[in-house]
Amino acid sequence: MSLRVDKLCWGHPVPGGGWRQLFANFDFQSSTGEFTVVIGSNGSGKSTFLNLLAGTLRSNSGSIHLNDKPLQRLSDHRRARRIGRVMQNPLEGTCPGLTIAENLRLAEGRRRSVISWRGLSGVHPSRADRRRYRELLEQLGLPLADRIDTLVGQLSGGQRQTISLVMATLGQPQLLLLDEHTAALDPRAEATVMALTDRLVRQLGTTALMVTHSLEQALSFGDRLVMLHEGRILGDWSARERQHLTPESLREMYGAARVRQTN
Amino acid sequence: MTGHNAPMLSLWLGAYDQGLAYASLALGTYLTLRVLNFADLTVDGSFALGGGTAAVLITNGVPVPLAILSAVVLGGLAGTITALIHTRLGVNDLFAGILTTTGLYTVTLRVMGRSNIPITDITPVVNWPDFGQGDDGRWAIALTCVLLGMIALIALLLATDFGLALRAIGNNPTMARANAVNQGLGLTLGIAAGNALVGLAGALVAMYQGFADVTMGIGSLILGLGMVIIGESVLRPRSVPTALFAVVMGAILFRLLIAIALQLGLDPVDLKLTTAVLLLAAMSLGHIKLPGLNANFQDAASEPAVIAGSEAEADPGSGEQP
Repeated sequence: MSLRVDKLCWGHPVPGGGWRQLFANFDFQSSTGEFTVVIGSNGSGKSTFLNLLAGTLRSNSGSIHLNDKPLQRLSDHRRARRIGRVMQNPLEGTCPGLTIAENLRLAEGRRRSVISWRGLSGVHPSRADRRRYRELLEQLGLPLADRIDTLVGQLSGGQRQTISLVMATLGQPQLLLLDEHTAALDPRAEATVMALTDRLVRQLGTTALMVTHSLEQALSFGDRLVMLHEGRILGDWSARERQHLTPESLREMYGAARVRQTN
Repeated sequence: MTGHNAPMLSLWLGAYDQGLAYASLALGTYLTLRVLNFADLTVDGSFALGGGTAAVLITNGVPVPLAILSAVVLGGLAGTITALIHTRLGVNDLFAGILTTTGLYTVTLRVMGRSNIPITDITPVVNWPDFGQGDDGRWAIALTCVLLGMIALIALLLATDFGLALRAIGNNPTMARANAVNQGLGLTLGIAAGNALVGLAGALVAMYQGFADVTMGIGSLILGLGMVIIGESVLRPRSVPTALFAVVMGAILFRLLIAIALQLGLDPVDLKLTTAVLLLAAMSLGHIKLPGLNANFQDAASEPAVIAGSEAEADPGSGEQP
């Protein structure tokens, strides 16, 4: 198993006192190269789960192993050496004040600790780096190839998210986390980014987790579909099992879970 | 040279020298405020610490380069303390700086032993040419060389992967962390380097003006910021090396404006108020953003993201069906 989550517990205080235990003994596994789509209503714990994996949230107990290495004790920047992330907000995942090439260089250096003597060796992005990035973007069919010296802040939301996605896949990550990364995009940009997502995940062969609110995306992308509700797995379908599902049937499941909860 | 031109030239040269002496303050401010987006008030303390240290050492017969180096190292240490208070204890950037500066006042006073030390006799290591302008000429040549070297060094540093990571920390800390940048260490080294530059400025200014005073650091941050902004608004730099050059030019221009104001009969008592008005004018001219303020908003938005994220998640009531 590439990703193994055992008995994960996480809760948070609620306004007005009290405690809400969102995850209690949560187990999850994913094999290498598996592309899992995670859905669930607001508050189901989808994004929290990704944050717990990335280390931006700390679990109360339980363990997370990535390729048999425990992640829990690593600080979030150390975890980031193994984990590529695309955030929901296009503004969050890139440095607007740096050029495309500089952003890509930063992501490519994921495995090196650049705040050290090693980070002082040579001027980067060098001409060779920039040629490589141009080729990469061309190969991915992105029209940004001839704009690698443009500040990312000057790009549209969709373009930024594209760069953010390419960045997340640079530097050989072992896990890719996509947190509603098309939610802020218009339908056209969404289609472009999703097509690229699918291609990059396949090309990279990395274990990937994508959180989405779009049931259309959930039914057409990935090898596996997982539905979360209140920190529990409500449904877990392979791509083949998923064929019998429709957006309506998924909505019904949400509704039923909610009714059970209120009763 | 005519009799009329001579004082004018000396005015220019004096302002140029002072500008260059203050330029590393501007460079330090640029590094912390513009590159790292960290409003660092330590600057007020490390400037005086640098000046005081250099004055004590020089008057005690320590060679000038060693005295300057000590000022640089102590400035860097002061910056490290602020950075550790901020990164390890989670104290807000402004408060961390104010805490260090408050403590540094005592440290500087202890180092100096009294509140004011005149520096009467400086033995130069290099016999700089003066082009017939006496000490002012020698200072001009020496400082120009030092500053050019410094611009080249900082530009080179910021062009490496290390520098890129520092710029990313200032630009988008969340993203820097997500790309495995050690934000705490980066901030610490960057703020230490910024304050080392400020310590250097303190030493150079004390040497140039011929004395160090324990209060000489008051208003240094805003002075440095003013120099940065003046330089940027005049030269509108588009790359890091030109920005560094612009910052140094800003320092010279700023001292020149002050010199002209004094020449026109400004009472030295009114100097601070004039400075404040001058800076206000520079800041409000053009489309100038106050980076320090942005930094605070950005920090506020990014650091407690954990809480914000979980709150958003933990609100099933407002949730719509996907």
